[in-house]
Amino acid sequence: MKANKELNITWLYPDILSLHGDRGNVLALKRIGEALDLKVNINRVDAFEDDIDFEKTDILMINPGEVKTIKPIVENLQRQRKDLDKYIESNGIILIIGTSGAAFGNTLHLLENDETLDCLGIFDMESFEKDKIYGNDMFYYFKPEQGEEMQIVGSEISIIDFSLNDKDQALAKLEYGRGNNTKTPDGLEGARVKNVFFTNALGPLLVKNPWFALYLIQTVMNGKEITFNNQELSKLDFEMEKKALGAIRKFITNKELIEKGI
Amino acid sequence: MRKLRFILALWIGKLLYKIIDKIDKERGTNLPGKIAFKISKDFIKNFKNLNYEKMVFITGTNGKSTTNNMVINGLEKSGHKVCTNLAGANLITGIATALIKDSTMGGKIKSEYCVFETDERYIKSIYEAIPTKNIAITNIQKDQVQRNGEPDFIYKKIKQIISKDVTIFVNNDEPRAKSLEEYAGKTVYYGINKNDKSFIKEDMFDKTLNVTMPCPKCNHKLLFDYYNIDNVGKFKCSNCDFKSEDKPNYLIQSIDFQRGRIMLNDSPYRINLLKSFFLYDYLLAIAILQEFGITPFEIQHSLDLFKLEGGRAEDLEVGDKILKYVRIKQENPETLQSAYNDVAEDKTSKIVMIGLLKVEDIIPNYSNTFYNFDCDVENVEQSNVERYLVFGDGVAYDTALRLKYAGVDESKIDVLDSSDPGTIFNKVTSYENDNIYLITWLHEFMNFQDELEYREYRRLLAANETYKSGKEKVRNESK
Repeated sequence: MKANKELNITWLYPDILSLHGDRGNVLALKRIGEALDLKVNINRVDAFEDDIDFEKTDILMINPGEVKTIKPIVENLQRQRKDLDKYIESNGIILIIGTSGAAFGNTLHLLENDETLDCLGIFDMESFEKDKIYGNDMFYYFKPEQGEEMQIVGSEISIIDFSLNDKDQALAKLEYGRGNNTKTPDGLEGARVKNVFFTNALGPLLVKNPWFALYLIQTVMNGKEITFNNQELSKLDFEMEKKALGAIRKFITNKELIEKGI
Repeated sequence: MRKLRFILALWIGKLLYKIIDKIDKERGTNLPGKIAFKISKDFIKNFKNLNYEKMVFITGTNGKSTTNNMVINGLEKSGHKVCTNLAGANLITGIATALIKDSTMGGKIKSEYCVFETDERYIKSIYEAIPTKNIAITNIQKDQVQRNGEPDFIYKKIKQIISKDVTIFVNNDEPRAKSLEEYAGKTVYYGINKNDKSFIKEDMFDKTLNVTMPCPKCNHKLLFDYYNIDNVGKFKCSNCDFKSEDKPNYLIQSIDFQRGRIMLNDSPYRINLLKSFFLYDYLLAIAILQEFGITPFEIQHSLDLFKLEGGRAEDLEVGDKILKYVRIKQENPETLQSAYNDVAEDKTSKIVMIGLLKVEDIIPNYSNTFYNFDCDVENVEQSNVERYLVFGDGVAYDTALRLKYAGVDESKIDVLDSSDPGTIFNKVTSYENDNIYLITWLHEFMNFQDELEYREYRRLLAANETYKSGKEKVRNESK
């Protein structure tokens, strides 16, 4: 059973899915959760053979790994498919970053042997491995169900292009950067179905955008009928993150001016 | 016709090389080869006298140039002629230029050995033109992700050229490079025993948040007994039987860091050990040289004469402060972790400057600092830091966030949203503490050097003006 004042983070394959300093996402959830006086439990799933304890999961964190790890992710989540579907259906949170997003689409086309891999099909999306890398910053607004939209900034290192069949599943429209589709940019970023979130934003995402981490934690706690009052929220200090955001936005604005030839 | 085109391309290449060499010695490393390829598409395949047994490619993420220079030095000092692509010209055009330079007018190679530093992304086309019998892979690690994406992206490119025809030299302690063994004809392993600078991460960091890396053979979690460098050490897989060899062919058994002595396969060597991460480069160079038949005595002689670039103390004098520079490679977590470990060894009170910068060598430029979260900086914080000075236009606050997450009190961090040397110098000279470390990319360090040279020039100019006006004053007074 999930205890009320607890935040249970299940960290999928921490050693295997670790490309771009992504453990920072777990650090951010821990820091913010603890600042809100929650007991934060970090449950590692170290081996492919180990099962995810969905009963003891509030947020399932899936960081990016090398392209070759997508196949085992799909295989091992398929093994627990019933539990996974039940978790998603009951509004459980999954946060997926970068390459691992492909595991949640319909298919992934791999370059080696021209193979097409069947994936979990949570998102109506096809994925394509590329022979060239694309790296850039990205910026978008995330619109939560309630309250103000929030700014999200990050970097993207794209080795897979994602094409959403159902454009309404996009997590956001990009203000800057290429997001899902770097070869033929369609301005769409990430995907969302219920509380399964996928974004290309690295940084680590939740370190650079702690307001998004707070949103995830609040969503979990609302489900447990716990809300935070202003006094509790005022314990969170995002001043340095706001300055970091400001500096990157200035940099992006300058890049846009140069790209437009001004 | 093919032969004629080759000779034409060769002569034009040689002429170009001579001209460029006269104008600017630094620039003649790629262009002659580039032009030669324009004239003759299979240019590089037509050279005669190439002995593939006495040729080696040196590739991998870190340590290519240093190892390359050591091998060349070892061969030359023991009396052999070597054809090589110096100065980081490690694409096929750079290698073509090296061959142009080294050949007769008829295209015969004069040197006995060929030692080529090769860019890992383009190694396939180079290998197809000159199928060497020896390939050394220093390591395959996270690096410049805007180009390389993920380590497996590079791994696959190197794997393409490893076959039963070649001998590979691989680091026994580096899992990705080592796993190439199954594709090679012969594998020469080199490794380093546990030593004074080896570390285990549980000592430095919250165990729950500690990560290793996936097994290159089965993708399961790898376990390390200890690390000599980040992600390099004695390892085994948690699932399959992949692990470091118990007895590598070349093994540094023990290291005396104080005196700069190593014991390698029961032979002692004297080496420049100021920076410990060069150890693997020394070891690989010695392994290649010995496999080429150079004796330990000759190797020691060459090492004594070798000037290790970046191996000297690179201090900067700013006002009355000395900044102790610790080199890192841009966007590379392994070298950044080594830098943090180096600084953390000094347990006395200190200022630590950290300057990670925006990445500006490819369009679009971008603001990556996430590799900092692959590194543990907690050990620095625990080593008695009075203040941090974090700088770097656009990304300084992101760097400061890494420190915040390591438990550093924000009031201890000075953030300069700037890469301007003058601004940074003004801040650093305002501290009372004289023990100052500087961690930043090489090109920012060079900007610092330029600023200091410019200041010196201005000072001399001003001194000259004072001297002249003084003289004039005396002259006027005497009238």
